Amino acid sequence: MLTPLTFVGDDAALVQALRSGHPGAAAAFYDRHATHVRMTLRSTLGPDDDIPDLLQEVFIRALDQIGTLREVERLSSWLTTIAVFVARAQIRLRTRRSWLRLFSPEQTQSWQVEQASSDARRALREVYAVLDQMPADQRMAFVLRYIHGMTLSDAAEACETSLATLKRRLARAEKRFLEAARKRPSLEQWLEDGTRWNAENKA
Amino acid sequence: MECREQSLDKLGAHVREALLADSASEEIRLGRAGFLDEVGRRNTAPSRRPSLRRNKGRWLVLGFATSFAASAAGLWLWLRPVSFQVGEARPGQIGDVIESSEGTSTPLHFSEGSTVVLHEGARMRVLSLETGAARVLVENGVVDATIAHRKTGKTRWDFEAGPFRVTVTGTKFQLAYYPVDQSFRLATEEGQVVVSGGCQKTPKTVSAGEKLALSCMPKETTSAWDGHDAAAPAVAPVVEPAPSVARAARGDSWRDLLAAGRLSEGLRAAERANLERICQVATTKELLALADAARLSGRDGPAGVALRALRRRFPGSMDASTAAFMLGRMAFEKRHAYGEAATWFETCLREQPTGPLMGDSFGRLMEARQRSGDHAGARANAEQYLRRFPEGPYASEARGILSR
Repeated sequence: MLTPLTFVGDDAALVQALRSGHPGAAAAFYDRHATHVRMTLRSTLGPDDDIPDLLQEVFIRALDQIGTLREVERLSSWLTTIAVFVARAQIRLRTRRSWLRLFSPEQTQSWQVEQASSDARRALREVYAVLDQMPADQRMAFVLRYIHGMTLSDAAEACETSLATLKRRLARAEKRFLEAARKRPSLEQWLEDGTRWNAENKA
Repeated sequence: MECREQSLDKLGAHVREALLADSASEEIRLGRAGFLDEVGRRNTAPSRRPSLRRNKGRWLVLGFATSFAASAAGLWLWLRPVSFQVGEARPGQIGDVIESSEGTSTPLHFSEGSTVVLHEGARMRVLSLETGAARVLVENGVVDATIAHRKTGKTRWDFEAGPFRVTVTGTKFQLAYYPVDQSFRLATEEGQVVVSGGCQKTPKTVSAGEKLALSCMPKETTSAWDGHDAAAPAVAPVVEPAPSVARAARGDSWRDLLAAGRLSEGLRAAERANLERICQVATTKELLALADAARLSGRDGPAGVALRALRRRFPGSMDASTAAFMLGRMAFEKRHAYGEAATWFETCLREQPTGPLMGDSFGRLMEARQRSGDHAGARANAEQYLRRFPEGPYASEARGILSR
């Protein structure tokens, strides 16, 4: 029986196929993991026009390094680590660009004329505006733990750091975030929901 | 502390919800296209990314390498591979169609110093490129060529235009060719070129300031270009037919129909306009599209005509190997001619041993050999396949062959 070019098999077979250059493996690799990688990029960066380019970069890096992957069953978390690395580089790039934009009057105007589409959109924008003020390492710890919903140990692995270091970064990030969030009324609702839920549970 | 965590967990859930409300499909689709393009590019050319691997002894090696590199640099400069660039930034690929779109001219810069400029609407491809030598196919339109003469060693460039061949040894000239009436025109500005082929009995030398116009259609002329002074050094402009007239004359509607996905109609239009003739002027991609249209319409005859024309006209190109693979599939699946299929798959593997069809060609070669009764060959292929693709799509078939 003839077999089509599309790859069929579990992650272990997929990694083998990628290593041996199977013609359909790259597409299967992307299709299987792109949603997860995109969510990692989106949650760490927020809205960003470069997401398609960054998705491409994550998968190209993964393809280049597939020979170094030891535990095939951890393919997904390994990809998260690469996505975090790529996202951190993007944050640094944005910081450099923001310095250049200080000299561009158009940028200020674009923020002023932007219209809020909904409460959720506005709050989302506010969250990332607060995160944009944080150092990249603290931001990563905060985003992976609270927005991506990772456990502390998984977040530490994705950031390629120790659990103790991640906890330190997270504590600083939480403090910074809450201080800044209190000055932004649109975030109050989201934060109060949590407080109220907690209070009700205790009662 | 717990309260703070609960608040932030809840906020995170809100953010996740808001992010998921965004449509992901467009971003994922764009990322996929870019990723697979890059993978395809790597499969057709050696990777240009530097290796990230580090070697402990690299400083020691570096010392030796530096001295070796210094002594090798002179040799490399003499024998270095020639490359070319399309426009300002795009690296050129051997065999690719290069077209100059409406309202623009497209320059090609070769690393040896030669330049070819495509006028608006011109279409050409570089068939081969070596130190001091190149083969260029002008499929349609006007090109200006300035060929740099090498100071060390011979220079030989061949320009093919329909049935004509122009042999160049360092010169500057303009060439125009239109397949619609097989008209060929050449004006040499510096140096000299030799024009052969077509309906000429003997090759003609065209020196600086001279012009030549030829056509193999019944009304043949060999004269000064458009009545201009033959000794005039300036290159006369070439008047192209109006686009609608030229399009109708070329019988282009099959292209539009295929592009619109109307495969059977496109194929019929190509046959009405003379498929054999179209196969002599179509690009590789057009030939593959015609072959696909024919195969999907269940007509292997025209598919074979297009694929064989592609292999005949563009030997050595990636698309020629794809054509070999498709011919193998047709022989295997439609005619059950397993021996012939094995030959085509073998050809594809020989021509593109690391190409994107390598795994599939390997697997199909193994199956074709098994079915044609070449069990020893099939077993050898099965062993090779399992060594390279232990989890590949033909792995179970390979194990089955080895267990028999």
